[in-house]
Amino acid sequence: MKKFIQKIKLYSEYIYAQKDKFWLIVWLSILGLTLIWNILFLNKPALRLVIEGFLNTLYISALVVVFSFLLGWIIGLLVVRFESSRFHILYFTLTFILNIIRSIPQIVGILLGYVGITYLITAKILTDTWLVMTTMSIIISLFIFNEMIDLIRERINHFKKLDFYNAMKVCGISENRIINFDILWKNSRIHILNKLIAIFGSAIFLQCTIDFIISVGLSTQVSSVSLPTTLGSLLAKIDSKQDILAIGNTIMNPSYFTHIFFEHLQGITVAFLIIFTLLAVYKISNGFAERNRL
Amino acid sequence: MTFKKKIFEHLLSIVLITSLLGSLLSFTIKDKNIQKEQSNEKIEPYLDMSFIDFDNPFDRALLIDILNIYEPGKESTHEFLIRTIEQYRKTNLIEGLENAYRREQLTPKKWQQLSIMYAQFILIYIFVLILTYYGVQTFGTLRFIRKQQNQKSHLLCFLQQLCVVPKFKRFMQYVNYYLQTIIHIVKAIMITLFYFTLFAPAYVIAYSLKTQLNTDTIIFMITLAVISNGLLITYTNKFYTFLVTESRKGYVQTAIVKNLNTSYKREKKSGISYASVFNVRKHFPNHIFQHIFLNARYQYLQTIKEQASFVISGLIIIEMALNIQGHFSYELLKQLLYKNYDIVIVIVLGIFYLVKFTEIFTDWITHKESLKYENIELVSIL
Repeated sequence: MKKFIQKIKLYSEYIYAQKDKFWLIVWLSILGLTLIWNILFLNKPALRLVIEGFLNTLYISALVVVFSFLLGWIIGLLVVRFESSRFHILYFTLTFILNIIRSIPQIVGILLGYVGITYLITAKILTDTWLVMTTMSIIISLFIFNEMIDLIRERINHFKKLDFYNAMKVCGISENRIINFDILWKNSRIHILNKLIAIFGSAIFLQCTIDFIISVGLSTQVSSVSLPTTLGSLLAKIDSKQDILAIGNTIMNPSYFTHIFFEHLQGITVAFLIIFTLLAVYKISNGFAERNRL
Repeated sequence: MTFKKKIFEHLLSIVLITSLLGSLLSFTIKDKNIQKEQSNEKIEPYLDMSFIDFDNPFDRALLIDILNIYEPGKESTHEFLIRTIEQYRKTNLIEGLENAYRREQLTPKKWQQLSIMYAQFILIYIFVLILTYYGVQTFGTLRFIRKQQNQKSHLLCFLQQLCVVPKFKRFMQYVNYYLQTIIHIVKAIMITLFYFTLFAPAYVIAYSLKTQLNTDTIIFMITLAVISNGLLITYTNKFYTFLVTESRKGYVQTAIVKNLNTSYKREKKSGISYASVFNVRKHFPNHIFQHIFLNARYQYLQTIKEQASFVISGLIIIEMALNIQGHFSYELLKQLLYKNYDIVIVIVLGIFYLVKFTEIFTDWITHKESLKYENIELVSIL
């Protein structure tokens, strides 16, 4: 028994030292506990909605990561290629467009994109829920992928200054292979992964926020076209909002504290899932950077 | 890219976007008028006949008779025309009543309203930017100093103290020991709550405080914009990373060899005092941290562009999500809902100008700083 406890202690210390893994375990465990609590105390239809909202949010955010990665990699390579080519005008045009996208606050760009989505749904061009979610993720990634481009450019420019780049070129290895395989895959994979974790967090935040705004502000339009349920749109529902208002009530009336975990579970769960997921993703990203000394 | 090139690119994008959105604006206004004209084209001449009262069945019958005499053989067309007129007047009346408060145009009064809202938005934005600039550097420095002091997390201390209880001779020693343990857990809970607040989207905090506070005030908006949406924590972390990266560089080791102060104790004379950390103009004389801080701040300046865009996004989120009426971003959401796209274009253009102005300002500051550092480098070489 003592040995077993010692083993657990050692393993816990090992996991705690690797903050990213530690926080991933914490995140998943707390999600599991929240699910059990909700199964016990939340009514079935609401529970189904919360699970659906959470999974949809994760799905859209994961797609944002994929699209940002692909767009960032492809356009990043184009920028690097144009930078050293004779056609400098192409480099200028591309960076100019990218800088304009950068100058549009993400939330404004995504909001205008969502107006387009509601139009497409009303015109019955977008009918499938999965297609709507994919379009949502494309729009969000359009305003995030610049971060990926910056990283890719930074890594390539850093390695281009080193001797090995020229040495490999002299050896007759193609530039495409040096950049894609030797620089980005072999030497920047961890940096890219770290950036993707951060993008995942940003995507969750932006998506929940825009869904909340759309559901609160553009409610009359949204009621006619049904956007998929996400944590943001769930939070905008009147019963969830009342649940959140109950937190304020608890500040002045602490004895009410226990009630919020039973009587206001839907809103509290949704708010908790958003905040805790954002916190966990931030900690995972930080831990990952720390472990790999990025 | 040189400073001049950067400015040229900024100005070019301003000109391009202004002309693009400007032409879109004129197209939207024209389109509104054309739509109005097209819908009325066929029935317009009849509606203009002031001597016919279309509410009166006798007048309508009279008009059909006249049309039938004037254009014989087209009786059904004339009846359809009268029905269309009736329908048009009915829809027009209902729509007019429904949309009376929705339809807005870019009148001088609207321009004035938008200008006031814009000025207010800029003012709040400047305040938030200054506060986050200060907050990021202060919290980043605090975190760095804590790390240098090798302070353990309170939760870990609590668990360690709970698992390994030393044997004391006196009862009071046990009391003190457990009191310390409780303090650790209380601190851990408070830090967790603080983290939750920093990561919470603004609307969650605002709704949870709505029953206790007036959330529509400007002061609340500024506070919310600074602490929520992960803004402060994200950039604090960025600044902290710059500090850590700088502290690993060779010049730090050289400075240590040259006997610069390296103690991170909370002391004014030999360490770093809280007063200097919380000071607006942070200064750590004769301490190695002074150089680490200056170099990290120089790198941080370059991220302000990104931070500014984040601040604007945060403000827009707050105004839109909380439906704070009479504010610039809420107006954007309202006009989007009412499909007054001409006003939407003007607001978007206003936001774009603000971002661009911040970018130009940041580039100027960074350029100025880099000139200063180049001079320092030259002097040291000489």
